[in-house]
Amino acid sequence: MSSSSPSGSGSDLTERRGIPAAKFIQDVETYLSQSGLDPNSALAFHQERLQQYKVVEMKLLAQQRDLQAKIPDIEKCLEVVATLEAKKGTGEALLADFEVSEGIYSRACIEDTDSVCLWLGANVMLEYSCEEASALLKNNLENAKASLEVLVADLQFLRDQVTVTQVTIARVYNWDVHQRRVKQVTPTAIAAADS
Amino acid sequence: MQQQGSKSGSEMEVTWEDQQNINIFSRLNNRVHDLDDDIKSAKEKCENLEDAGNELILADEEMVRFQIGEVFAHVPRDDVETKIEEMKEATCKSLEKLEQEKESIVTQMAALKKVLYAKFKDSINLEED
Repeated sequence: MSSSSPSGSGSDLTERRGIPAAKFIQDVETYLSQSGLDPNSALAFHQERLQQYKVVEMKLLAQQRDLQAKIPDIEKCLEVVATLEAKKGTGEALLADFEVSEGIYSRACIEDTDSVCLWLGANVMLEYSCEEASALLKNNLENAKASLEVLVADLQFLRDQVTVTQVTIARVYNWDVHQRRVKQVTPTAIAAADS
Repeated sequence: MQQQGSKSGSEMEVTWEDQQNINIFSRLNNRVHDLDDDIKSAKEKCENLEDAGNELILADEEMVRFQIGEVFAHVPRDDVETKIEEMKEATCKSLEKLEQEKESIVTQMAALKKVLYAKFKDSINLEED
């Protein structure tokens, strides 16, 4: 059931990257009469929407966590390549202690070199010159940061829609309670007036 | 942040402006939580660098094993000292920036709270649960 409530006020977007926007309702009564829903159905619809938003939020948060872990990794690689480049001119070898296994370290002597090997994933490692490696890593870093920005914007949009939906649910519920109370009061008032 | 129904059942009109204020408040609230985490890790990093600097002064080896990426490179002591100073400065600066951002956001949130409570009184709850 798609919500196309004409009484909703214009939000800036109707959807963003597959996430539907929650239409803001100016007036609950108009909304209910125009959509032909009774309060309970309307509440059920919005509750379901809220659940769907939550599912998407979980997915986006997981993606965000992945990216946030990836970025420091790339930065570390860039640091190492920069160190190797700095050492290139001097002719000295770089001594480094690296972890062979948990708690066990070994010493490596890294000669002056022009190239490094980069692990690209999927059991593939390619040899690059230091400059190319630097450029590739910087590119990856830029892309990761850009993706993260887009993701954060998506999450903000999503949270706005969640808030709008929560407020709508509260308003429909309140309106319904108000209506029931008015209905209860009116017959009593009429009975009192008659007697 | 929760929006609770009004117990008196009075009909409270919610305008688009109110909704936008609520949305902005929610965004700021989330941002504050993220900032708190960032500030915590920046503070930790600053402390670690302090400790490292102090250890360096106490140690009298010429070659220090300095962590670059996943390996420990043998670097002369002076270079390490310079590097640690630089990192400390960068971290402290970013910590300052984060704290300033948090302060400004907290002020904005207080202002929004005033506006929203003025309109909705009991019908809205903007406190941390």
